[in-house]
Amino acid sequence: MIQSRRVRAYGFAPACVAVSFLCAKIAHPYGDLAELAMIHLVGIVLLALRSSVRTSVAASILSIALFDFFFIPPEYAFAWTDAKSGLTFLAMIFIAITVSSLSENLRRQEQDARAVAFRAQALYELNVELSASRDVRQLAAITARHLEKLFGASVDILLETAEGGLETASGPRSSAVARNAWLRREFVVESAQSGAAIWVPVLGVRSTLGVIGVELGEAFARNSERGYMLMACASQFGAAIEGAQIAGAMQRAQLEAETERMRSSLLSAVSHDLKTPLATMIAAGSTLSSKLSELPEADARALVASVVNEGQRLDRLIQNLLSVTRLDSPTVELRRTPESIEDIVRAATDRLNSPGASFRATAQFRQLPLPLVWAEPLLLEQVLVNLIENAFQHARSNVVVKIVHSAGAGALTVQVADSGPGIAEHEREKVFEKFYRGQHAGRMDGGVGLGLTICRAIVRAHGGRIAMRERAEGGLLVEFSVPLAKEPAVLLEVAS
Amino acid sequence: MSRQRLLVVEDDAEMRSVIALALRAYGYDVSQVGTGADALIEVHTRTPDAVILDIGLPDIDGFAVTARIRQGYELPILVLSASSEELQQIRAFDSGANDYVVKPFREGELMARVRAALRRPVPLVERRDLNVGDLRLESTQRRVYLHGAELKLTNTEYDLLHVLARNADRVVTHGQLLLAVWGPERLNAVQYLRVFVRALRDKLEEDPTQPRRITTVLGVGYRLVSTS
Repeated sequence: MIQSRRVRAYGFAPACVAVSFLCAKIAHPYGDLAELAMIHLVGIVLLALRSSVRTSVAASILSIALFDFFFIPPEYAFAWTDAKSGLTFLAMIFIAITVSSLSENLRRQEQDARAVAFRAQALYELNVELSASRDVRQLAAITARHLEKLFGASVDILLETAEGGLETASGPRSSAVARNAWLRREFVVESAQSGAAIWVPVLGVRSTLGVIGVELGEAFARNSERGYMLMACASQFGAAIEGAQIAGAMQRAQLEAETERMRSSLLSAVSHDLKTPLATMIAAGSTLSSKLSELPEADARALVASVVNEGQRLDRLIQNLLSVTRLDSPTVELRRTPESIEDIVRAATDRLNSPGASFRATAQFRQLPLPLVWAEPLLLEQVLVNLIENAFQHARSNVVVKIVHSAGAGALTVQVADSGPGIAEHEREKVFEKFYRGQHAGRMDGGVGLGLTICRAIVRAHGGRIAMRERAEGGLLVEFSVPLAKEPAVLLEVAS
Repeated sequence: MSRQRLLVVEDDAEMRSVIALALRAYGYDVSQVGTGADALIEVHTRTPDAVILDIGLPDIDGFAVTARIRQGYELPILVLSASSEELQQIRAFDSGANDYVVKPFREGELMARVRAALRRPVPLVERRDLNVGDLRLESTQRRVYLHGAELKLTNTEYDLLHVLARNADRVVTHGQLLLAVWGPERLNAVQYLRVFVRALRDKLEEDPTQPRRITTVLGVGYRLVSTS
C-alpha cells in the first residue's frame, strides 16, 4: 500500500514533465519561446502542488533541460544565448520551490489535524467504555483491548495491589522493567531478547496505580504520535481506576451507613415493641401485688388476664425476631414436609383465639379434602399468626381465613380477610418493607415493623406469593400461595 | 391414695418456684432442683412419680438427663423448652421424653400434660380393650365403638388409631406412628399419615374441620385427646 503510493508519487513527477513538454512541442509552431516557457511552468506548478520540495526542484531542472534542448535556439543543444532565458530558468526553479514548500506545509497541517481527530476519537471511545465499568480488572481488560487495536501490538497491564506490590491484570508478561517504570513513575523502554517493549506508568493522584507495557514494533519506534497516544490512554485509565476506587469507597460508606441505620432502627423498633407489653405486665403485676386485697375481683381478674395476654404477645414478637435472624442468613434451608393446611390454619387461629380476646379468627374450609402443601409448618403458622394479629390490632375486626384451591393449580391460596378500614393503595407494597409502619399504625400501635416483612420472606422462601387487596364488601384481604406437595400414590383401602 | 410426687428440674429459680407453686395448687407433692446432676440424684434416691425437666440446664443438658433416667426408670418425663423447633421436640421424644411443653405455657396446658403423663401408658404386648373418653377399642376383635356405635375402619386406620389410643393424651411423633403402622421403610412418608389422619377424623369427629379428638402438634405429631 505504502509502496504503491510511493511509486505513484515518483511517477507523477516525470508524467507532469512529459505532458508539459508534449504540450509545448505541439504548440511550438504557433507560439514564441515565452509562451512555451509558460506551458512548462504550468506543469511545474501542478507538480509542486502535490510533491515535496526536492522532487519539484529535480523535476523543474529536468523540465528546464528539455526546454533548453528542444526549443531554445540553437535547438538540440544544451546552450542558450541570451540572459533572458537564464532569468526564466531561475524564475521557474524559484516558483517550484515556493509552491512546493507552501503545499508541503499545508499537507503537514492537514495530517496533524487528522491525527488529532483520530486521537480524540480513540480516546473518546476508550473513555466511553471505561466509564461504563466500576471494576478495576474490567477496566484493565478494556484498556488492553483498546490499546491492542490501536497499536496492533500485544499489551500487558500490571496493577498495584493493596499490599503495595504489582500483579498482572491483563496479558501474560510481567518484568522487572515494569516494576522499574512503576517505581520511578516514568516510562522505560525494555529491550529484551523476547522483543522490545515500552512500559508506561499509570499515574494516580496519590500513587502509581500500575504499568502498561506495549510491545515495540517497528511502526511504534518511528512514530512519536503513538507514544503520545499511549500516555494519553494511560492517564485516562488511571483516572478511571481512581474513579472506580472512589465510587467503591462511597458505596461501602453508604452501605455501612445503611446497615447502621437499619441496626439502630431495628434496635429502636425492637426495644419499643418489647417494652410495651413488658410495661403493661409490670404495671398490672405491681398493682396486683400492692392492692390485691382492695381490688374488686373483676378488676383483679382483668389485670391478671392482661399480664397473660401481654406475655403471649411478647412471645410472638420474640418468635418473629428469631425468624428474621434465621431467614436473613444466606444459607437458610426450609425443612419442608407434606402438611395439611387445615391443621396449620387451626393452630394459628387456636393460638390467637384466647378466651379473653376482643376479636376472633374463624377458619372456613369449604372444599375438603384439600391437597397437602409442601411447607415448613411452624413458619406457615407464623405467617398466619402475624396476618391475623395485624388485623386484630390495626383493623380492629374479626378475621376470616379461607382456603382456595382450584383444580390443576400447583398451589393453594390462603386468604386472610378483615372488615377494618383497609390500607391505602400506595401503602400496600410498602407495608411489606422492613420496619415500615402504616400511617395510622403509630396510634393504635403494638405493630411490629417486622410482621409483614417476615410473612413475605417466609412465603417467598416457600416459592409462593403474597399480596393484599381491598375487599368489595370493605376491609382488607391478604392472600398468599403455598405450593402443593406431591400426593401419595394410591392409598385407598376398603373398610373391613 | 397418697399424693403423687413430682420433681421439677429448672435452673431459673423464679420459673422453678412458679411451676412448683402451680403444681402444689393442684395437689401434687413437689420437690425442686436446679441442675441435671441433682436431678439424677433425686431420681435415684427418692424416685418421684414424674419428672418435669427443663432442657437448658447448666451442667448436663435435658436430653442427656432424659437418656440417663431412661436407663433405669420408666417414670414419665415431661420436657420443658423455650424452643418450639420441631427438631428439638423430636430429639426430646427420641431420647425418651413422654411429652414436650414449649415455654411460655399456660398453667392449664402444663397441668393437662402432667395428668396425661402420670397416666401409665398401655404396654404394647398387652391385648386389652382401650377406653379413651367415649371411644372404645376392642383389641382382640379390632373393633372401634364411638358412643357405643361401631365405626367401620380400614386396617390401617385401625392400626393408627390403636397407636394413638395406647398413648392417649400424649404426643405420638410422626416417626413413631410411621414406624408402628407402616414399618421402618416408610419413615419419611409423612403424607401417608396426613391422608389417614384425615380419614380417621372424618369418621371420628363431629366436625372434621374442627377436630377435637385427634389434635395436631405442628411439625411433631398427633395426640388423641380423652376429654373432649
